[in-house]
Amino acid sequence: MATVLRSRCAFARLFTRKSNRILNNTIDSVTGLIPESQSVTFLTRQYSNYAKSPFADRITEQYNYEIVKNPPEWKYVERLMPFETIPQVIPKESYPGQWVPPKDEAKSLPFFISRTKNHDIPIYMETTFKGNRRITKIKKIDGDIWLMNDEIKHLLKTKYKRYVETRVHELARFIEIKGDYVNDMKEWAYSKGF
Amino acid sequence: MGSRQIVEKSLTLLRSLPRISLNNIRDNPGSKKTQKRGRGQHGGDKHGSGNKGSGQRQNFMRLGYETGNNPFYLRVPQEHYYRGHHHRRQYPPLSLLTLQRIIDTNRVDVTVPIDIASIVKTGFYSFFPDQKHFGINLIDEGVDIFEAKINIEVQWASEQVIAAIERNGGVITTAYYDPHSLFLLRNPKKFFETGQAIPRRMIPPPDAIEYYTSAENRGYLADPDQISEARLKLAQKYGYKLPVIENDPKYNMLCERKDPRQIFYGLEPGWVVNLKDECILKPKDEELKRFYSL
Repeated sequence: MATVLRSRCAFARLFTRKSNRILNNTIDSVTGLIPESQSVTFLTRQYSNYAKSPFADRITEQYNYEIVKNPPEWKYVERLMPFETIPQVIPKESYPGQWVPPKDEAKSLPFFISRTKNHDIPIYMETTFKGNRRITKIKKIDGDIWLMNDEIKHLLKTKYKRYVETRVHELARFIEIKGDYVNDMKEWAYSKGF
Repeated sequence: MGSRQIVEKSLTLLRSLPRISLNNIRDNPGSKKTQKRGRGQHGGDKHGSGNKGSGQRQNFMRLGYETGNNPFYLRVPQEHYYRGHHHRRQYPPLSLLTLQRIIDTNRVDVTVPIDIASIVKTGFYSFFPDQKHFGINLIDEGVDIFEAKINIEVQWASEQVIAAIERNGGVITTAYYDPHSLFLLRNPKKFFETGQAIPRRMIPPPDAIEYYTSAENRGYLADPDQISEARLKLAQKYGYKLPVIENDPKYNMLCERKDPRQIFYGLEPGWVVNLKDECILKPKDEELKRFYSL
């Protein structure tokens, strides 16, 4: 019983002290400042809890600033904005970064591989069954896909001297080659000018 | 005491109290009731706890405890190869070959200084500051084919990479960014849309100060005279003629550096960027100026 009473008293003491502070902090009696109350200029000080921290008063709600319209620094902001579209490649004399530009002569061929939005050639390797099955996939083919299939088969057969299995999907416009022939296919596509 | 005073007192109390947010609310007392095992449920069965002993009493032992055996996690001696690996700073690599490719395909503008914001913007570099990524480690893959003349700021670079960039008349700086600044650099638009003032960049932690103050690493806190000396030394070591930057038409661009407290090029800490009205709010208040200076 005694402990309960003591704790109640403690609560009462705490409450009265708090209420006194609050009364001191009212708008009507700003003049009666207690020494503990401080302005928020001490930004670096951090208190562990609300109870121990002094009451903030004279809080600056509106800081003085200037609005600069059409600022000269706006070019730095524009530089940081993300691309709306992927930028077009400006033609150069050489491309040391191993990127190969498409050639115009490829447009006259009976088949065509268009570039991806990232200006890359859409030839990929697909591995399944934990890397045991490797399939080279050529996507985004236009024109005579069967003619292209024959040419690829002939090319790989002359190079590797063995039969190469392919699968042509006319509707989805891709050719799948069984085996890892990605570098060969890329080399062939760049030589054709795709 | 009239009711008016009570209302006023309550309002003043409310003003001084912290705002209600997710971290200081809780359920009403008694609103949540813990589920208990009904003794008469399912015909008074054992409810999956089994028969007899510790299991029946649902005495869930601590993890790894093997009921008196020397437990496995103490039986095998530990070797802390990876202790603290999740606290270490990670610098995901970007090769010079990729950088050259980014430049070739016009993803970055070489007429202005390149920093992590412009590299992340290209989409060729995946960067996650929340996974302890602290910036770009420019690696020497494609060191022989690199030809661009750039002013680049990375977070980590090897000697060969520094030589490859300076051979072409470029400038490289290694600079530290604290994780908060890296979040802003990763997506500046998202940050500007929040309407917050640009913060200051923090100084590097004690174990990184040595790297970023050394001229050999072209640290951003190094002495410029020592850096020019180190440039000359590196040129002699790798046997190339160091191009004179002073005579270069792009001299102003090559000399552009960020302040050690600056996050974005050209934008100072404390400024608020308004993307909608295309204006910048610059603080004039002494208190704010003091806060954002150094």
